[in-house]
Amino acid sequence: MKRIIIDREKCDGCLNCNIACISAHQEGSNFYTVDLQDPDAQARNFIKYDPQKGYLPLFCRHCDQAECVLSCISGALEKDPLTGHVQYDENKCAACYMCVMNCPYGVLKPDNKSRTKLIKCDFCDDKPDDPSCVKACPKKAIAVKEVSL
Amino acid sequence: MNSNFSCQTCASADQKLETFISKLSVETSHHRMEGQSVKCGFGLQGICCRLCSNGPCRITPDGPKGVCGATADTIVARNFLRAVSAGSGCYIHIVENTALMLKKTAASKGVLKGKLALAKLAEIFAVEEADEHVRAEKIADMVLADLYKPDYVKMELVEKMAYKPRFDRWKELGILPGGAKSEVFAGVVKTSTNLNSDPVDMYLNCLKLGISTGLYGLTLTNLLNDVMLGEPSIRLAPVGLRVIDSDYINIMITGHQHSIFAYLQDRLIQDDVIKKAAAVGAKGFKLVGCTCVGQDLQLRGQHYQEVFNGHAGNNFTSEAILATGAIDAVLSEFNCTLPGIEPICEELKIKQICLDDVSKKANAEMMPFVFEEKESQSNDIIDAVIAAYQARRGVVALNIDGDHGNDDTLTGVSEGSLKSFLGGTWKPLIDLIVAGEIKGIAGVVGCSSLTAGGHDVLTVNLVKELIAKDILVLSAGCSSGGLENVGLMSPSAASQAGPKLRAVCESLGIPPVLNFGPCLAIGRLELVATELAEAIGVDLPQLPLVLSAPQWLEEQALADGAFGLALGLPLHLGLPPFVTGSPVAVQVFTQDMLNLTGGQLIIDDNAKSAAASLDAIIEKKRKELNI
Amino acid sequence: MKIVIIGASAAGISAAKTIKASEPDTEVVIIAKEDRVHSRCMLHKFLGHQRDAQGISFIADDFFESSGISWLNNTTVTGLDAQNKTVKTHDNQDISYDKLLIASGASYFIPPIPGLRESKNVYGFRDLKDAQLLDRECNTAKDAVVIGAGLVGMDAAVALLERGLKVTVIEMTAAVMSLQLDQKSADAYQQLFEEHGAAFILADKVVSVDVDAVGRGRTIHLASGKAVAADLIVIAAGVRPAFNFTEGSGIATNHAILVGDDLKTNIDDIYAAGDVTGMAGIWPNAMKQGRIAAINMLGEKLLYQDRYALKNTINFFGLTTLSLGNINPQPEEKCQILIREDRNNYQKLVIKNGVVEGVIFQGNIGGSGFWQYLIKNKIDLSAKNKDLFSLSYADFYDQDPATGEYRYAV
Repeated sequence: MKRIIIDREKCDGCLNCNIACISAHQEGSNFYTVDLQDPDAQARNFIKYDPQKGYLPLFCRHCDQAECVLSCISGALEKDPLTGHVQYDENKCAACYMCVMNCPYGVLKPDNKSRTKLIKCDFCDDKPDDPSCVKACPKKAIAVKEVSL
Repeated sequence: MNSNFSCQTCASADQKLETFISKLSVETSHHRMEGQSVKCGFGLQGICCRLCSNGPCRITPDGPKGVCGATADTIVARNFLRAVSAGSGCYIHIVENTALMLKKTAASKGVLKGKLALAKLAEIFAVEEADEHVRAEKIADMVLADLYKPDYVKMELVEKMAYKPRFDRWKELGILPGGAKSEVFAGVVKTSTNLNSDPVDMYLNCLKLGISTGLYGLTLTNLLNDVMLGEPSIRLAPVGLRVIDSDYINIMITGHQHSIFAYLQDRLIQDDVIKKAAAVGAKGFKLVGCTCVGQDLQLRGQHYQEVFNGHAGNNFTSEAILATGAIDAVLSEFNCTLPGIEPICEELKIKQICLDDVSKKANAEMMPFVFEEKESQSNDIIDAVIAAYQARRGVVALNIDGDHGNDDTLTGVSEGSLKSFLGGTWKPLIDLIVAGEIKGIAGVVGCSSLTAGGHDVLTVNLVKELIAKDILVLSAGCSSGGLENVGLMSPSAASQAGPKLRAVCESLGIPPVLNFGPCLAIGRLELVATELAEAIGVDLPQLPLVLSAPQWLEEQALADGAFGLALGLPLHLGLPPFVTGSPVAVQVFTQDMLNLTGGQLIIDDNAKSAAASLDAIIEKKRKELNI
Repeated sequence: MKIVIIGASAAGISAAKTIKASEPDTEVVIIAKEDRVHSRCMLHKFLGHQRDAQGISFIADDFFESSGISWLNNTTVTGLDAQNKTVKTHDNQDISYDKLLIASGASYFIPPIPGLRESKNVYGFRDLKDAQLLDRECNTAKDAVVIGAGLVGMDAAVALLERGLKVTVIEMTAAVMSLQLDQKSADAYQQLFEEHGAAFILADKVVSVDVDAVGRGRTIHLASGKAVAADLIVIAAGVRPAFNFTEGSGIATNHAILVGDDLKTNIDDIYAAGDVTGMAGIWPNAMKQGRIAAINMLGEKLLYQDRYALKNTINFFGLTTLSLGNINPQPEEKCQILIREDRNNYQKLVIKNGVVEGVIFQGNIGGSGFWQYLIKNKIDLSAKNKDLFSLSYADFYDQDPATGEYRYAV
């Protein structure tokens, strides 16, 4: 499957991946027009900073044994057998957030505004080319690579 | 030299140039676009603040305010006013130098080639001195006195220069500028750490800077230069890489301050200098036009036919011009002198001399222009260039695309030359507009950039759309450098215009896109607009006239844009000026401005829809004028 | 090979999926007493009329057809013959198996309180059937009483409120959801429920129920002497593993079916997973057990080690809470308790000897998944010279260079 491979040494913490992610999930927006003050504007990726280690990009791994899928009570989270990506169906989701609790890497989060949805990476599978964050990384700290399961 | 540059060059509206650049073995801006294709979203939206050590702060969903509490609206407004202040500073530097040059030229009883311009200025300024040198010096002094006023003392020439309805509106809005240099200072202070946080106050300040920039930096620079260097006159001239003649010692000039070259350009064609050139095997010296100062020379080319070869290209053509190998030296005195020319000059042994330290290039020789030493300095320059010529010719390969550009670009269009072309009155043009033979006028101005589709792509496509709708295009700035090289300023381009405009152009033998020259000539467009408005008896916002800076590049362009908005004109930009992160900015520029000055910002990077918007505005204004 | 699975909830479906994903040719039969597969954690959405029965399914519409699984619904298993490897159903089918997975779950429990068991209007809130019965009652009932303010009771209460009933929740302990919350975090929910019309009677016990002429419980008497009127009663006082049918089969039980780490019972070829083992506790664990049991039935060896079950998330009225581990330590445990609060958040860490034992995060729970790892693996944080509230997975950041998956640097 394809996974976003992280070279954290290259990350400068510019947060362009955040903007790209928010824009990719804000209908009709682009880098100029994406509304970052909209309460619904939430990135699916995170950059943490550690004074010793530097920037630490947190991106959904679409884990081989995805704990989030195993914890889902509604069938909203499923691993796509073709792409290997864990896809999320907002309409099925019951917003119980067992997945948030069970993601060992703290990548998942509830939506800020209504707490009725999960904010989770969809690998931009509905868009051509690479995920938006990967395309937006000026340092090429994230890149899509094929990994064997 | 870096050999790792991308082999992918960006698109250019100028196909021949695109091909030429793609085959070069030196790196140009066109090669670097790919490496810079990933843009910072915070930068694009203008919501990154680096004003203090708590920052840089960026507006994000998790951080909707900066540490100090600044909102996106405040951050965007501060960044924008800073940029407009810097842009204004650039133009004010130019007009200051130009006025000083005129003052010294007049004081030393130097040649004043532009008698009409002098008379015109004397009339506007109400200077009644009989002696032309005294008159010119007084005019220069009046300009300088205004520039040097503090910000709390209003400049006196504004009322004399500005169209009365505009002046009255500006007064009402409280945006009449104080001393132009001090206004730049005020803009910088206002936008420093934890000072002004009121976006609307800052945008009004931008308009104020727009007025001082426009009337002084643009309009007066043109007129003062005309006094010294001669008025533009309409003629056909060659443009593009073809103008470079390798038989000569070639000097490429870049910048915006034509008067710095006033002495040198005459000196280069004097016999002893030609003999020096001949002694090393050249036919003589030629100046090759590039960027706006090249446009200035082209504009006044009638007076400089011997020394000036023609305009080769705009800012983002400069690297390609050097890469022909036939340029022996670059003389620069201002922007747009790209840092990217430095390694090319290094590799191709091209001598770089800077005449004004504001544009000192890292590996160039600094020779600050001193009026009193212009004779010896010119000789030094000539010797240095000859030395470069000797060191490089025969060693550096030549690569001139003789097919690039054309020989029949109509140049030399100005408020004066156009009016006299029309028979000394604007009536024929007004009649054509009233009759609908010319639907309206679009000033397509500003820079050239490599964004919005590529080099000049949006500019050229937009202009094609506009002329097809019978809208006459007037161009000033690096935009005209691109438009002329693709042939839109040749009379034959009339065939690309809509049927009515085409008929007008063909009967007059002119192209549908008129070349006013450098970005400074945006001030000439303002004069044309004002004279038309005066003749019709309306205010500027009522004219079927729109502005577009489709590929605005830099801070100066933003100051120009502020002038356009202060004039109350609709202004189209291809890409937003780093303000879209602020709802207030978007509201002010696209809506509220209509009530403030009558101006309006339109952002659109699509040539077709942008042209449609501009066309709709022109139609609306025609309707309101009952024509 | 033919694998029979009893039960179609988390463990059963997860096992079936795992089997079909790795060995599509294996025959799988699922026997379930329910009419259709549904998620018990979403029953309140059904009862609250936010979703229909289809809407609380947690499998794809064509799950059985597309994965080639035989689906025996509305079928109750009544007996098990381990010798002959068959299960008997209520309609006298004998269904043979090569391997059997018991994932029959648990049943709700009605305490032996006078009048309560006899009342015809007493319902559990365990499966779709219960919810459907309650749904019918809701059309006429006005006063609802929920006995038990655990997660199930609160689920029922929220749905009944949604349906416009007057809801009274009776709870023995002094706070709602006392297994998952501390007083402060419980109060927040109680207040929210009260704002939406619920009444709570805490630290009180039902002692008897008055049954009317038609057999319906009408008045609930409490130890305090209070009496509460009821048109319908929901009992949410706990569940018991459901394995009656194993009687006489030789399967070892002790209030639950006993299994080893491989989830095999004492009888070869019979496995058990989910609530029936008494060690699942919550949905994700049941899912995992189903998966592990399936893998072991297919002949591989995988142990159920991630047994940590003291975990839950709560989301009522948009107030979200994460609860992990020992959140209400006794004074003698000598735990250190750290609290951090702001307008929208209440956060509590229970720490002993540098190890986090319990966590309550109420409000923003985004990115909190890593806490479970720290607690269940007893990660010593005393060397982390850092405000513990600011920890994130980034503090343990490491990647597998081959696959790019994260792992823990501890």
